[in-house]
Amino acid sequence: MSVNTRTRTTLAGRHPELTAPPLKPFGASKARSREALAGILFVLPTLVIFGLFKFLPIFGAGAMSMTEYSLNGDFEFLGAENYTRLAADPNFWQSLKVTFLYVAIFVPFIIAVSLAGAVLLDKLVRFTGTFRALLFIPYLSSFVMAGIIWTWIFSTDGPLNAALGSLGMGPVPFTSGPQLLVLLSLAVVSVWKGFGYSMLIFLAGLKAQPAEVHEAARIDGAGAWKSFWYVTLPLLKPVVFFVLVIETIVGFQVFDTIYVMTGGGPARASHSLIYFLFDEGFKFFDFGYASAIGVVLFVIVLILSLIQQRFFEGKDSK
Amino acid sequence: MTATVSSPTVGLLPTPRRSTEKRRQRTLTWVLAVISLFTVAPLIAVAVLALSPADAPTLPYALPSSLTLDNIIRIFNVGEFPLWLWNSFLYSAVSVVVVLLTASMAAYALARKRFPGRNALLWAIIATMMVPVQATLIPTFILISKMGGVNTLWGLILPTLANAQAIFLIRQFVRDMPEELFDAARIDGAGEWRTFWQIVLPLIRPVLATLAIFVFLWHWNDLLWPLVVGQSDAARTLTVGLATLNTETASTSNVMAATLVSFIPCLVIFALLQKHIVASITHSGVKG
Repeated sequence: MSVNTRTRTTLAGRHPELTAPPLKPFGASKARSREALAGILFVLPTLVIFGLFKFLPIFGAGAMSMTEYSLNGDFEFLGAENYTRLAADPNFWQSLKVTFLYVAIFVPFIIAVSLAGAVLLDKLVRFTGTFRALLFIPYLSSFVMAGIIWTWIFSTDGPLNAALGSLGMGPVPFTSGPQLLVLLSLAVVSVWKGFGYSMLIFLAGLKAQPAEVHEAARIDGAGAWKSFWYVTLPLLKPVVFFVLVIETIVGFQVFDTIYVMTGGGPARASHSLIYFLFDEGFKFFDFGYASAIGVVLFVIVLILSLIQQRFFEGKDSK
Repeated sequence: MTATVSSPTVGLLPTPRRSTEKRRQRTLTWVLAVISLFTVAPLIAVAVLALSPADAPTLPYALPSSLTLDNIIRIFNVGEFPLWLWNSFLYSAVSVVVVLLTASMAAYALARKRFPGRNALLWAIIATMMVPVQATLIPTFILISKMGGVNTLWGLILPTLANAQAIFLIRQFVRDMPEELFDAARIDGAGEWRTFWQIVLPLIRPVLATLAIFVFLWHWNDLLWPLVVGQSDAARTLTVGLATLNTETASTSNVMAATLVSFIPCLVIFALLQKHIVASITHSGVKG
């Protein structure tokens, strides 16, 4: 860049008529480098923070996943050994199975609930703001708080089992029973806490739909259900896809509720990928191995992000 | 239904039609009221349990005959609860201030200044958004432990200051500002810092407010990183403390009292800034 400005300066000095209007060439290049200096100074804090706490750990994760790393800083290069160990570790496959099962329950569940909430709110004429707020409020809580509340709700002497008991049923072991029941209970908690966000995105998508299309469907004799299935939903497809990817990524990162409610149990029935990473890293201090689990998570999320990006680019170019 | 309401024929519809619509609206209101019960009832239960007198019959079998603040006063007097609250506050508040300031500065430079390596840096920052924080948990922990930051507040806060989403969102705002604004500032002889402080910052206030809310909530509710780095009370946050309380043999009333207190700041923020939060999710898709 400095070479470039210098040639321009000399050129302008020799043939001032070539650079119109008569600006001060030297001053211009000085302004240019001052601009660059200002730019660098403004990004400097971010550069330091990102360099240390984003870029370095990202490369560190890849590097550490190929070592055996102990807390005192000693490490031994292992190559791909951590990954072959993962492939042979039944606990890893168990955590993958748990995570995929959980995602398969959680994602359709949260999409159905948030879409239903959005459609109902969209059709409501009065008190929309009040109901929107009431449905959104759980989103403000932490997963820890949600986990604590629902631990109580699901407990043997909690309200759910009290109600079931008065009907002569139960008690149902919501968080300590068979795997599918436990994962479903965990999904209920995350849906309760999280659906408000997706609901608002759906609501915005519904409000953006042209009223004429729905009017036309109504005139053609389509009922509410048909109109939703054949008109509303196809128009909402890009939004549904966006929410689908976001919530799938959220689902793959499930940890907080498991930590609070089941501790990964019973018998690893809810031992998710992040829980596995946490255990290997901070229970067994097997940092290299835990880093390899992190890389696997990264690859999964990366694939999802790429699918999303590809989809949205395809949509823009149309 | 929006379609029906916005339609000009609505007033001309014969009466049976209008009464069906009225009935539909009533059903709709009832359905939403029932759903709201599901979302709000657990929160009300927390409040009732937290405010129930000790040893009195309470949920789920009975409603307490009176309410008391005893449990809340007790958790403030016994144990480390006030310290956790303070740590959570610092973790959230310091992060909000530093993230907003550094991200605005970087966004301004990335959107408005030409300097070598600018595009590469922007690309690298955006690329980090694809890496989940859990994937870099181990190396970040090792780094902080080498720096001596385990069980300290600065060790807790520092790594979370790198917020790519904040830079990305602010940059879009700054990029869309008219160039004349900056020309005018230059002609008036405003220096770089003054231009940033007196022109850029006031104009990006809406996006800063949005980010402040979400960065605060994200830190206030965060568990994994504080759990890993704040193992002693000196750096333990509310979420970590609550999770430990819940697994220990603490009484339900104590746990619920602590839970209720932890939720109050979020409720206050929501009550004050509800419109802002809703608008920002629907427009920019900020993920809290």
